[in-house]
Amino acid sequence: MKRRIRGRCWLVGDNVPTDAIVRSHLITRPMEEIRRHVLEGVNPRFPREVQPDDLLVAGRHFGQSSGRAIAVRALKATGVGCVLAESFARTFYRNAFEMGLPILECPGIGGLVSEGDVLVVDLETGIVVDETTGARAQATPIPPFLRRMLEAGGIIPIAKQLAEGTDR
Amino acid sequence: MNLVEKILARASGRARVTPGEVVVADVDRILLHDLSCYLTARVFEQEVRQPVRHPERVVVVFDHHFSPPTEEQARMLQENRAWARRYGFRLFDCGSGNLHHVALHAGLVRPGMVVVGSDSHTPVHGTLGCFATGLGNYSHAALGLPFGKAWFRVPELVRIELEGSTGPGVTPRDVALFLTGEIGEGGMVYRALEFAGPYLEGLEVFDRWLFPLITVDVGAKSGHVLPDERTLRFLAELTDDRPEAVGGDGDDVAEVRGWEVSGLEPQVACPPTVGNVRPVGEVAGTPIQWAELGGHGGGRLQDFRLAAQVLRGRRVHPEVRFNLVPSSRWAFAQALREGLVEELHRAGATWFPPSTGSNQAINMGALAEDETMVSTHARNFPGRNGVGRMYLASALTVAASAVCGRLADPREFVG
Repeated sequence: MKRRIRGRCWLVGDNVPTDAIVRSHLITRPMEEIRRHVLEGVNPRFPREVQPDDLLVAGRHFGQSSGRAIAVRALKATGVGCVLAESFARTFYRNAFEMGLPILECPGIGGLVSEGDVLVVDLETGIVVDETTGARAQATPIPPFLRRMLEAGGIIPIAKQLAEGTDR
Repeated sequence: MNLVEKILARASGRARVTPGEVVVADVDRILLHDLSCYLTARVFEQEVRQPVRHPERVVVVFDHHFSPPTEEQARMLQENRAWARRYGFRLFDCGSGNLHHVALHAGLVRPGMVVVGSDSHTPVHGTLGCFATGLGNYSHAALGLPFGKAWFRVPELVRIELEGSTGPGVTPRDVALFLTGEIGEGGMVYRALEFAGPYLEGLEVFDRWLFPLITVDVGAKSGHVLPDERTLRFLAELTDDRPEAVGGDGDDVAEVRGWEVSGLEPQVACPPTVGNVRPVGEVAGTPIQWAELGGHGGGRLQDFRLAAQVLRGRRVHPEVRFNLVPSSRWAFAQALREGLVEELHRAGATWFPPSTGSNQAINMGALAEDETMVSTHARNFPGRNGVGRMYLASALTVAASAVCGRLADPREFVG
């Protein structure tokens, strides 16, 4: 797991549903195709111009609606390095850690940064720095249980330890 | 401990659990529909490939398809079928009904169980006093199938007390929509909800069902109703074994919030989100081309009875297609016995096979750009049924709108 992620930021608003991350009719298509349509109805430039390690900054309750993990998988496939949001829908939150996509809850982040700013996120301390404006924010640090999952690259590598209670 | 804590303590082999701690618990039921089955199977076969510990706990229901409209979808169902059979999962094929209604009617959900599924409306099983919640495909593939387990952060519990009684033309669905708007999307993130109070306790099980159904819309983890005599009576009609109901100790709640429902108007969730709820009067007159009774919360016998109240002596408007989608074969059979099938058919409505209906337009219910649907469905986000507009309402409001050709206040028709 990379501790520090640096990239340009993309903005989306509150309550973005997983249906808007990956539209329903695409879920059985190859990821190469899905990737090119991620969030297109919300921020049309995003799927066309997103670069590896870019950051997605969202408002409240990001990833609501269906708990389809393919929404996380598709975001990962775009190369996004981290998602920051005021808050996440709980299934999206679980899915992200289970699939090894770093995400951070960061109150106030929406009003602090503008699209295209370069952000640096420290996953260990939760400190977010906007290099374009100098603004700083403190995200809620990732709980230890989920940090372990993220470091392992997802839930599959640690499933046996979890099930047998040998993880602690 | 409250109900959720008691269930999670039992399932994780602990004397007690407290909010905030993470537990790995046994799951009693894993519910998958045709889409989540497909996605879960892919992860499981490609990345996990282990024996399934408790295949008898896994239930697969094909509810988004009552019949595959394309070759690609036919292949997907075929793969699902083969996968379910290989491991010995309980399979309900096309035409069985909605995942949650089928699981309930088949007696596969009992009070006190831990019920999980990929469908985000899985919390609806809290209606019977379960701890029920939606998880992602990776949870099932990594922990659920190989070990019969899942991880949970023990949630804080919020009790929602509903008091009062509603007037003619106002149904439990209106109250549930109203609550969604009041609490707001994401208003209860990570929390568990206990629906209580004299209004709720006075409802039959399939009307209580509409409350845990909104759990996901307000961002909560689970939602339940404490089992009581009505719950046990309902279950006794489904199966012979007497379930043991778990209750809570009463005071372990983080917060209590109350609402008075008397005087409430019929409510409509308007595009583009489930939380955009308004009294019907504010949107009455909006032209509609499609009306539907169906989905996770609709297509109940109760919905067809309500629609018949409106359609008795009236006809569906010539500009409207009114779809009736039973939530289970049981609901259809019962509607048949009560004469509702013929009555609604003669009034101009169209019966569809038991399924989840137009949910996500997998095999019905796509909308053209300038089309509008009003339904009992649970979701109205753009992109789910194409780019058209979707309003969510009670069966009475849907039926009244189908008669008028525009969103209509059902109080003009009943009471």
